[in-house]
Amino acid sequence: MSLKVENLTKRFGGLAAISDVTLDFPTGSLTAVIGPNGAGKSTFFNLISGAIRPDSGRVLLDGEDVTAHSRGDIVRRGIGRAFQVASIFPTMTVAENLMVAVAAHRGQWAGLGRRFPPPGARVRAMEVADLVGLAHVADTLSAHLSHGDQKLLDIALALALEPKVLLLDEPTAGMGPEERWQMIERVQRLWERQNLTLVFIEHDMDIVFRVAQTIRVLCYGRVLAEGDAAAIRSNQAVIDAYLGTEEHAA
Amino acid sequence: MTSGTAMRDIAVAAAALAILIAVPFLVHSPAFLDYIIRIAAMSLFATSLNLLVGGTGLVSFGHGMFYGLGAYAFALLMQRTQISLAAAAGCSLVISALVGLAVGAVCIRLRAIYFAFVTLAMQMLFYSIIITWQSLTGGDQGLQGGIPRRVLFGFDLNSQFHLYTVSAVVMVVGLLLLRHVSASPLGATLRMIRDNEPRTAFLGVTVWRAKLTAFVIAGVFASLGGILAALFVSGAYPELANWPISGQAIFAVMLGGVSTFLGPLAGAAILLALGDAVTRFTEYNGMVLGLVILFVTLGLRRGVLDVLTEALRRRRTGPAAGAAE
Amino acid sequence: MDLDALGRCVSTASCLVTQTTSGLIAGLLLFLVAAGLTLIFGVLKVVNFAHGTFYMLGGYIAFTTLQVTESYTLAVLAGGAAMAVFGIFFERALIARVYGQDVLMQLLVCYAVVLIFDDLVKMVWGADFLAMGMPPAFQVPPLFIAGGIVPPFYAVLIGIALVIAIALAASLSGTRAGKTVLAAAQNPTMVSALGVNTDRLFAVVFAIGAALAGLGGALAAPVRSLTPGMGFSVLIDSFIVTVIGGMGSIAGALLASVGVGLIRGFGTIGFPTFTDGLIYVAMIIVLLLRPTGLFGREVV
Ligand SMILES: Nc1ncnc2c1ncn2[C@@H]1O[C@H](COP(=O)(O)OP(=O)(O)O)[C@@H](O)[C@H]1O
Ligand SMILES: [Mg+2]
Repeated sequence: MSLKVENLTKRFGGLAAISDVTLDFPTGSLTAVIGPNGAGKSTFFNLISGAIRPDSGRVLLDGEDVTAHSRGDIVRRGIGRAFQVASIFPTMTVAENLMVAVAAHRGQWAGLGRRFPPPGARVRAMEVADLVGLAHVADTLSAHLSHGDQKLLDIALALALEPKVLLLDEPTAGMGPEERWQMIERVQRLWERQNLTLVFIEHDMDIVFRVAQTIRVLCYGRVLAEGDAAAIRSNQAVIDAYLGTEEHAA
Repeated sequence: MTSGTAMRDIAVAAAALAILIAVPFLVHSPAFLDYIIRIAAMSLFATSLNLLVGGTGLVSFGHGMFYGLGAYAFALLMQRTQISLAAAAGCSLVISALVGLAVGAVCIRLRAIYFAFVTLAMQMLFYSIIITWQSLTGGDQGLQGGIPRRVLFGFDLNSQFHLYTVSAVVMVVGLLLLRHVSASPLGATLRMIRDNEPRTAFLGVTVWRAKLTAFVIAGVFASLGGILAALFVSGAYPELANWPISGQAIFAVMLGGVSTFLGPLAGAAILLALGDAVTRFTEYNGMVLGLVILFVTLGLRRGVLDVLTEALRRRRTGPAAGAAE
Repeated sequence: MDLDALGRCVSTASCLVTQTTSGLIAGLLLFLVAAGLTLIFGVLKVVNFAHGTFYMLGGYIAFTTLQVTESYTLAVLAGGAAMAVFGIFFERALIARVYGQDVLMQLLVCYAVVLIFDDLVKMVWGADFLAMGMPPAFQVPPLFIAGGIVPPFYAVLIGIALVIAIALAASLSGTRAGKTVLAAAQNPTMVSALGVNTDRLFAVVFAIGAALAGLGGALAAPVRSLTPGMGFSVLIDSFIVTVIGGMGSIAGALLASVGVGLIRGFGTIGFPTFTDGLIYVAMIIVLLLRPTGLFGREVV
C-alpha cells in the first residue's frame, strides 16, 4: 500500500510544526525520517494517523483521500503506528495486550455475548508475540517489562492490526547501542516478511544509513532533503542544519 | 477455557444463592434479613458504579441518579398504573436505560474531573426536579402510600421472608450479569480505555461507543438496586436520589476495593454494618465514619478485598519466587 | 414557575435593585470561597472537597469571636486567620499524602474531614441553627435605592468582598510571590524546575484558599444562619462556579460567581422551587458548549 502526503501543513499557534510537506512512500518501501528535535517528525506521524487534523493538505492512501478521517477509520484502512514513548496497556499482560488488539482489529471489541478472549484471539496474539520476540514474556504484566520490550510490545500492538503501512516513532529511543541494533534488525525483518510500507523516525545515523532505502530529512517543519544514504551524507544543507547540530548537542 | 471461567462464576453464584436461601432457616433474626436486603440493593448499585470507576476509569459522582430513578420510576408505575410488578420493574429498567443514554451522551464527552462534576450536576438536577415536581413525585415528602400489588411469581413481597428471597435472587443474578459484562470483550475494551484511552482509539475502537455502553449498563443495574430499595422502604424518597447516596456508593467501592469484582459488595456490607453498629453507640456516626475512611484511604491505601487478594497472591507466589532466587 | 412575577420584578426598579443586591452578595461571597477552591486546584491539582468545611468553621469561629469580643471586624479576621492556620495543617497532615493519587482518594480524604468536622461542630456549638445577628453598628434603618430596600450592611458586605477580590487579584498579578502562584497554576512543572520550594508554595496556597473560604463564612454569618453541614451547599455552588469558570481560573470564578448569584437572586422570583435546578442547567449548558469551562485550559 502506498502512502502519499501533499502540501501538508499544521500550525500550533504561530509555529508551523509542519509546513507544505509533500512526500511519497511507495508500496513496500523502507524509509527513515530524520531531523533535529522539534523538527516536526512526530507531528508528521500524528497528521498521517489522524491524531490531529492538518490545517491544509491531503493524506492519500493508495490514492484515496483519508485526510482528517477518524483515528479508528485510518487504522482500519491499514495504517498502524507505534509511539515515541511506548503506549501500551500497563495493567494487562503481554498476551492480554495483544488479545485486546486482536479483538479490536476483528471488530469484536463491543461483544457482550461471550467471554473474553474471543475464539482464536489467543492463538493470533501469540503469533504476533512470536513475530516481535515477546512470546517468552507473554504472561508478564506489561508494566513490568523492560523499556525495550515495552517498545516492542507497542510495535506488536500495531502489528496485531495487520497494517499495510507501519509508522514507527523512534523505535530505538532510550536504548543502549547493542539493544538498538537488535531492535532495528527486528524491524527490518518485519518489513521483509510482512510486506510492509515502513516509515521510521530515528536519530542514530549509523542505523539510518545502514537500514533505510530512502531518507527524508525534516527541519523546521519542511523537507530539507531526500535521497539514499550516499546522497544525504554528502548533502551540504543536511550537514549544516542537522548533522552539525547533532554533533553540537553531543 | 473461556466457558470454564463462566462455569466457575455460575457455580460460585449458585452456591452463594443456596447459602442465602438457607440463612432464614438458620438465623431467626428479622434485622439480619433486612440487612441482607439492604446489601442486595446497595451492592448492585456499588458494583455497577465500579464498572465505571474501576472498570473504565470513569469517575462518576452522580451515579445515585440512577438508583433514585429506578426507585421513583418503579414506585410511580406501581402506584399510578395497574401493570404487574415484573412489568413495572422491566419498564423502570428500560426508562433508566433511555435516561442513561441521554445523560451519558452528554457526560462522556467530558474528561476526568469535568466528567465527575457534570455527572454530579445531572444528579442534582434530577433531585431538584423531584423536589419541584410535587404533583408527580410528592416533593420532599416522597412517594408515600406504599407499593401495591406486591406479588412476583407467587412470592408475596409483603412478607419479609419472601422479599428477602427475591432480593437475594435478584442480587446474585444481577451481580453474575455484571460479572459477565466485565469478563466480556466489551469489559476488556473498557479496561483498555481505563489504561490508555488514546492507544485504544488507535487500535480501531470507537471509544465513545464503548463508554456510552458502559454508562447505560451501569445505570440499568444501579436502578435495579433502586427498585429493591423502593420495595424495601415501600415507596420512593428524595434521599434515594440525593448526593449522599452517590457518596455512599463511592465509599463502598473504595472500601471494598476497585480491582476485585466483589470488592464493592464487600464494601457495601461493611459500610451498612458499620452504619448500624455506630448509630447504636453514638449519635456522632459521621465522626466514626470519617475516621474509618481516613484509616482506609491513608492507612490501607486500597480497598479491603484488594488488600486481601494481594496478600493471598503473595502467599501463593511467595514460596515459588523464593525458590527461584 | 412564575414568569409573570419575574417579568414584573424585572420591570420594577425597586425589585430589580433588591434582587440584584442579594444576587451580588450571594455571588461575591461565593466568589471568595470559589476563588480559594480554584486556586488550590490550579496550583496543587487537588480538588478540595473539604472547602465547604473551611467556610463553615470560619462562620462558627466568627460567631464565637463576636460573642466574646463584640467586634465584627475581629470576628471576620479571626475566621479568616484561623482557617489559614487550619489550612496549612490540613494540607501538610492529610492532603500531602494523596498528591498525584486518583481523584477518588482525594475525595474520600476530604469527605472524611467533612464528616468529622460536621460532628465536631455539633459537639461544640450544638446541632441547632445559630443566628449570629447583624453587628450592632449596622442595626440601622435600611437605605432606599430607586425604591429598593438595601440594608447598609449588605452594601458594606459587597464592598468588603469586592475589596478582598481586588486585593487578591492585585497581589496575584502585582507581586513576585503572586506571580509565582499564578505561574504554578498555569504550569506546575515549570515552577518546580525554576527551583521554587513547592512544598512551601503548596502550603501557602492552601492557606490562602482556606483563609478566603473562612473569610467568606465569617462575612456571611450575620446574613445566613449557622448549622453543621452548612458547608455542603456552598461547596456544591463553588464547584459549579469553578467548573463553569474553568478550573484554575480566578477571572472565570468571578464571572461565574456573580452569574450564579444573580440566577439565585432572580430565580427565587421566577422559579422559586427550582433555583438550584437552574444553576445545574446553566452548568451543563456551559460544559456542553465549552468542555473545559469558560476560561479553562485542557486538564488531564
Ligand atoms: N500538541 C501540540 N501543541 C503545541 N505545540 C506542539 C504540539 N505538538 C508538537 N508541538 C510543537 O511542534 C514542534 C514539533 O514537535 P514534534 O513533532 O514533536 O517534533 P519532533 O518529533 O521532530 O521532535 C515542536 O516545537 C513542538 O513543541
Ligand atoms: Mg518526536
